[in-house]
Amino acid sequence: MSKFDIDEALIRKLAKLLKETGLTEIEFETDDARIRVNAGATGPMVAAAPALAAPAAAAAVAPAADAPAAGSVSSPMVGTAYLSPEPNAAAFVKVGDRVAKGQTILIIEAMKVMNPIPAPHAGTVTQILVQDGQPVEFGEPLMVIA
Amino acid sequence: MFEKILIANRGEIALRIHRACREMGIRTVAVHSVADADAMHVRLADESVCIGPAPSRESYLNMPAIISAATITGADAIHPGIGFLSENARFAAMVEEHGFTFIGPAPDHLSLMGDKVQAKDAAVRFGIPVVPGSDGEVKDEADAKRWGKKIGYPVLIKAAAGGGGKGMRIANDESELSQAWSMARSEAMKSFGNDTVYMEKYLSHPRHIEIQILADNHGNVVHLGERDCSLQRRHQKLVEEAPSPALNGKQRAEIGEVATGAMRKMGYRSVGTIEFLFQDGEFYFIEMNTRLQVEHPVTEMITGIDLVREQIRVASGAPLGMTQADITFNGHAIECRINAEDPETFAPSPGRVTEYHAPGGLGVRVDSALYGGYRVPSHYDSLVAKLIVHGRSRNECMMRLRRALEEMVINGIHTSIPVHRRIMGAADFLNGSYDIRWLEKFVAEQQG
Repeated sequence: MSKFDIDEALIRKLAKLLKETGLTEIEFETDDARIRVNAGATGPMVAAAPALAAPAAAAAVAPAADAPAAGSVSSPMVGTAYLSPEPNAAAFVKVGDRVAKGQTILIIEAMKVMNPIPAPHAGTVTQILVQDGQPVEFGEPLMVIA
Repeated sequence: MFEKILIANRGEIALRIHRACREMGIRTVAVHSVADADAMHVRLADESVCIGPAPSRESYLNMPAIISAATITGADAIHPGIGFLSENARFAAMVEEHGFTFIGPAPDHLSLMGDKVQAKDAAVRFGIPVVPGSDGEVKDEADAKRWGKKIGYPVLIKAAAGGGGKGMRIANDESELSQAWSMARSEAMKSFGNDTVYMEKYLSHPRHIEIQILADNHGNVVHLGERDCSLQRRHQKLVEEAPSPALNGKQRAEIGEVATGAMRKMGYRSVGTIEFLFQDGEFYFIEMNTRLQVEHPVTEMITGIDLVREQIRVASGAPLGMTQADITFNGHAIECRINAEDPETFAPSPGRVTEYHAPGGLGVRVDSALYGGYRVPSHYDSLVAKLIVHGRSRNECMMRLRRALEEMVINGIHTSIPVHRRIMGAADFLNGSYDIRWLEKFVAEQQG
């Protein structure tokens, strides 16, 4: 590995991008360097190689790390997310919509069963974090309703 | 052959399966609970899917979540590992219904061997020796005497509705029979509201010896010898070895033939283990485990056969790559199960591992998902590492094992390493003279 110069401009650029997109983490890799910028609640985490010690520390505060933004709606199950009730139909919600508590915001298909996911609270949809047809894990953030 | 296997398990066994897959050029999907996001099997797998919160019931036992994870990752087979859903017939059937291959036996065989009564009946049908008994109620004293003579003393009189050691009495000879019979009956009445009792042969000092089976879809069956798992505490195995110090080559070949013959009649496929009590040269069926076992590495060490690899191969429909004549036993192997528990009280000891150092050198194998900084979660079983040592002779193996136990370091949590160090210094273990009650006595003496 060649000498790793800290590219301040690049980090600033990534940090700015992070803020703009509302993402929690960006990882950028070239042949000889890797930079990870993380805006998570656990503070900055810089790792050059698969960190062995860091994750254990993170595990202690795992619930906090799992709930990044206020109003975030996380997936209650593993499956495939659909943003509309059927192909080519209008989406259940779009960014900027006001939703009532209990209103269906998307569907998650698990084992060929369509499970409507209700809004856990009322508010305005500020972000939709998944694409139509995207596989999702348990606990994965789906939307932000602020 | 499969292209991608989903491993529906955690801990060292998930890692063990991952290793076999990698060596076969198969990609892996790890599934995990929220508590296991940093686990080694998750870090090493090609893909990972979080399937639920920490409690097993909502994650590792969550059948829909596991099937969904296989669907979204495009896996073509599911390996259930050990414990969790590995012997669940409903899960196996569900896996197949959704178009995936279940890496294990047919669902029917899982349910047959999962039911104690049915399993014993099946064993008799397939020619496996069982503990001789009255096959039903012992109605009166005369009946008891008749059975006592037929079975041979000592005998055990047991409540038909029983469990937990209640309503159980031993008669060492006919003179003790009358009292044992009436006491078992009255205890059974008091404990279970039912005074029906039956009788079976009492084994006072049996060993636990099990036979490893490997079978394909085409009627080929081989056995890979035995493992002696007599060192148990509260029915939990702690040390296993192969070959058993109590068995000779002729006995091994005979019981091996009984086991393979039975599996042929049954039409069994995949790996499996038939467990026996062994006393005075006779084998008595306990149960059959229709899955891989924790102690499978000792068999691998003396046969040179990767059991997980073979299990995956036969699940894909491939025929066995060997016949019985190809299987030879080389040297001796012992496995120590290292649990996250207090070596004195055996209380669970989850927490952060501050230091981890695995022993090495010729003939030393460690199967573990530990690493320095890892936090052992409190939600799952306490097995954190398996130390398996091979030597050309039992003596060489024991000397090497002692050396490896001296080297091994797991700090930050309590482990059973000190217990293993004491066992390896015990004269009875050195001499191979132990039975299934030995370890509990040894532990009690150490504590007293």
